[in-house]
Amino acid sequence: MDILHINNIKKTLQKTTILTDLSLTVKKAEILTLVGPSGSGKTTLLRCINRLIDPDQGTIHYHENDIKNIPVVSLRKEIVLVPQETYMLPGTVYDNIAYGQNLQGYKDEAVIKQSLTDAGLDRSFLTKDAMKLSGGEKKRVSLARALAINPKILLLDEPTNGIDPKVLVTVEKNIIDFARKRNLTILWVTHNIDQATRVSDRIANLKEGTITEVQRAQEFQWGSAY
Amino acid sequence: MGIPYTWQEGLVVLAFTCILLLIVILISVYKKLEIGKEFTYALIKGGGQLFIIALFLTILFQMQYWYILIWALFVTMILAAGHTSAKRATHMPQAYQVTTPAILSGATLSLIVLAISRAMPLEPQFIVPLAGMAFGNSMAICSVSMERLIREVSLNKSSIETMLSLGASSKQSLEPFSRYSIRASLIPTIDHLKTLGVIFIPGAMAGLLIAGTDPLVAAEYQIIVFLMIVGGGIITALITTTLSRKKLFTSNEQIQEWLYEL
Repeated sequence: MDILHINNIKKTLQKTTILTDLSLTVKKAEILTLVGPSGSGKTTLLRCINRLIDPDQGTIHYHENDIKNIPVVSLRKEIVLVPQETYMLPGTVYDNIAYGQNLQGYKDEAVIKQSLTDAGLDRSFLTKDAMKLSGGEKKRVSLARALAINPKILLLDEPTNGIDPKVLVTVEKNIIDFARKRNLTILWVTHNIDQATRVSDRIANLKEGTITEVQRAQEFQWGSAY
Repeated sequence: MGIPYTWQEGLVVLAFTCILLLIVILISVYKKLEIGKEFTYALIKGGGQLFIIALFLTILFQMQYWYILIWALFVTMILAAGHTSAKRATHMPQAYQVTTPAILSGATLSLIVLAISRAMPLEPQFIVPLAGMAFGNSMAICSVSMERLIREVSLNKSSIETMLSLGASSKQSLEPFSRYSIRASLIPTIDHLKTLGVIFIPGAMAGLLIAGTDPLVAAEYQIIVFLMIVGGGIITALITTTLSRKKLFTSNEQIQEWLYEL
């Protein structure tokens, strides 16, 4: 079943065309990686889906509904973006993970703790000052923070960037595990070809603002990519 | 008591004190500071403006229907203050839509409190200077809070977007930055308040002392003036940050495009 339909979207930012006639369909509960060179529009595409920006033309449908017809705050609770640049809110790791729930006016301790574990951190982190964590730990807290609001689609922009190579595969495994367990759909932006092959159900190649190829991970032609 | 000479005699006194202007020009030339010309221009411009307002006040104080003219003066003050403050927010479109109501609300509310408490008798010689102080200070506080808020949002776009993408509204994501900008706009006035009487005697009190008022009454009045400035200022800053939200975010809870160009 398809969860996301992106139809012929175009986006120009500061007089530069970033996305041109981009179309893509995402299936429910799949992990789809977006690969492509810097500046090809991967981040802009994620920002359009999360409605941090709107495309100039074209439509994006979530469960058959045009996302422009869904109240934007409700949409962002279901389609959560974890940006490349990790920003920690002032306070503890617990405060950060509980942030999304607080906004919605509830607190589910079990989900908060489970999200931390799913993101690959143990519970001793809950009381730590979020600002004082390492880059890789912050990345994982931002993943946990997104998971704690029970999203339906997770948009991950280079989620393992800055993570220690020794734990890279563990973090990837954590993401795949929680995606399977929670029936989550993931759009995963990466530069890393090996990583895309390891984590994806399908891989989409983005070049000069448009999708040039979408294939199952095993069938993806790396020779023609980028 | 008070100034012991007429305005005609005052011109001679003024001419004599222009020795100080000469000193500024001489030092500027000698040290190549290049401020002599600018200072002379500022003195002539500022002095000219003061003489015009003095003439206007002379007429106003003698008028039977002064309250009609005072409304015209208020409207001019509000529009000028709103326009001047809006110029600070060069990138924000139609910033006067934020500054004018913010200055108007803060200054008016503090003046109403002063009128009700009898600190400002409803006579032109009280209303005009106090309104000038209220509008002037609200304008300064509005400019600082607006400039600070734009800077905070511009520097913290990624943190704001993080909050937005987790389901925060623009109001929720802007809240910490609104707090910083309100605080930043009031800190100079509060610091000023702490040093009252220690480092200098402030304007209102100095004026009253020169005019021969009892020092205790002059001190009380200075405190009233500061309460007016801070009270009106906090309302101005609060309204500035509240109204700015519509200029900083779209109706779809997105950061406005002009902020990405800063």
